[in-house]
Amino acid sequence: MNDTRITEERLEDKVFLRKDRMRYIKNTASSRLALLAILFNVLFFVSIYKSDVGSYYYTILIGASILYNLVFMLLVFLSSEGVKQYKKSYSLLLAILGIGQIVRIFIIPLNAHSTEITVKKVTSIVMGDAQFTRTVIYLAVSAACCLAGAAINLKKSMTLKAHIASLGGQSK
Amino acid sequence: MAELKLQHLDKIYDNKVQAVFDFNMDIKDGELIVLVGPSGCGKSTTLRMVAGLEDISAGHLLLDGKDITQTAAKDRDMAMVFQNYALYGHMTVYENMAFSLTLRKEDPNVIHKKVLAAAEILGLTSQLNKKPAQLSGGQRQRVAMGRSIVRNPKVFLFDEPLSNLDAKLRGATRREILLLHKRLKATMLYVTHDQTEALTLADRIVCMSMGRVQQIGTPLELYDSPANLFVAGFIGLPPMNFYNVLFEDGTLKGKGFAVELDGEEKDLLGNWYGKEIVLGIRPEDLEEGGELPVKVTMNENLGMNTLVNGTLGDGNRIVAKLRGWKEFRNGDTAGLKCKRKHFFDKDTTNAIRKEEC
Repeated sequence: MNDTRITEERLEDKVFLRKDRMRYIKNTASSRLALLAILFNVLFFVSIYKSDVGSYYYTILIGASILYNLVFMLLVFLSSEGVKQYKKSYSLLLAILGIGQIVRIFIIPLNAHSTEITVKKVTSIVMGDAQFTRTVIYLAVSAACCLAGAAINLKKSMTLKAHIASLGGQSK
Repeated sequence: MAELKLQHLDKIYDNKVQAVFDFNMDIKDGELIVLVGPSGCGKSTTLRMVAGLEDISAGHLLLDGKDITQTAAKDRDMAMVFQNYALYGHMTVYENMAFSLTLRKEDPNVIHKKVLAAAEILGLTSQLNKKPAQLSGGQRQRVAMGRSIVRNPKVFLFDEPLSNLDAKLRGATRREILLLHKRLKATMLYVTHDQTEALTLADRIVCMSMGRVQQIGTPLELYDSPANLFVAGFIGLPPMNFYNVLFEDGTLKGKGFAVELDGEEKDLLGNWYGKEIVLGIRPEDLEEGGELPVKVTMNENLGMNTLVNGTLGDGNRIVAKLRGWKEFRNGDTAGLKCKRKHFFDKDTTNAIRKEEC
């Protein structure tokens, strides 16, 4: 793939050079977005677990949430490595995980925000407005990072594939 | 265009040890200069002073007429290739080669063009996505050279770049450096302790010992007309044979042997009559069928040549490099003839030359 000779003329074409650089430079934009998605996911669950009221979170749901967090971080990390190499399949995985983050907004944050709990005769909302806004933002940003990373990688991998084909080489 | 002038350079370390004494040299544009000498002779220190990695204790360094003695290394427009390659293991070949330009925040398209061009020159195009660990020693050294080429520096500095390679690879990479020099026509300063590299690569060689320049000249000048005993002994493989001899009656008399001189040699040594001098004979200047009685102690066949180790006269060691495959046995006596002789002043160790007589 890489030993394809390039004519002097093509080396003066900026668009060609931009595409050609992708043969040797990793897709750091998508990769960094994926890592950013992990960071916001961490902010999300730290924000939830440190603010339990009574024992509201001690249910099977929170167990599943912890497991999902671990799986999410593992898969997003794998995806960040995959998209770095312009692998198209990781765009799909990253997009699914991004959609998953949006869905999660409607599970714990929304439920906790609409639930009141009484502890020692004091009734309060499990998740206040400020915390709810914060957690929603964290999940939304995490989702946006996943989706943006997936979209960028998809576009770049298709461009690279077409570029390599135009050079007469084989795709990665 | 890059002319380098080293004027009276001295290097004195904080502990008062002087590593380089009064180094003077003018390097022309496009010249490949090789600094050669044994370990600790000051050649790498000189190179590092030129690179700006060592302070210059005294003297001046001029690049294209501009004094750069106090200029920081990064501003000298020189690129250095190190013995240990100094590549970043976590980066690909492409990233390694592009690194210095990326730090300078050059246009990525320009960087890309330069890296591709350098890779093409060095035959690394198919290796650009690999990490240094996936490359052979020779390829890694080429990457290190590529990193220098992309910068398009005024002067290339090489600090024993082939020392980590095995003999076969060293030969191949040496030829690549020579081709690279011919292609780039760049000024290059190359440090080595390997005289083969020095003789094959250099436009001019600087032979150093104990921090002092012993001789500057073309490879042929150093081989054919060594300035002193050190250069004569250092350049040439196997090294030159040396004997203390007395010049008397048209002959040189050593311990248990005598060497006849021709008319020209007698004229050359006219002023040395009755004095002791040092006779130097290169092993390859000896051939069979002569007056020198050599008792063979070891016979080494190299295929095209045979190295005959033995004693001359009263126990003087001698090595002769004879053409062809010879089958001397230990204890055999071979009569050798000396085709060419070198003469040195025993006190000053300088070569005895016509103009001095």
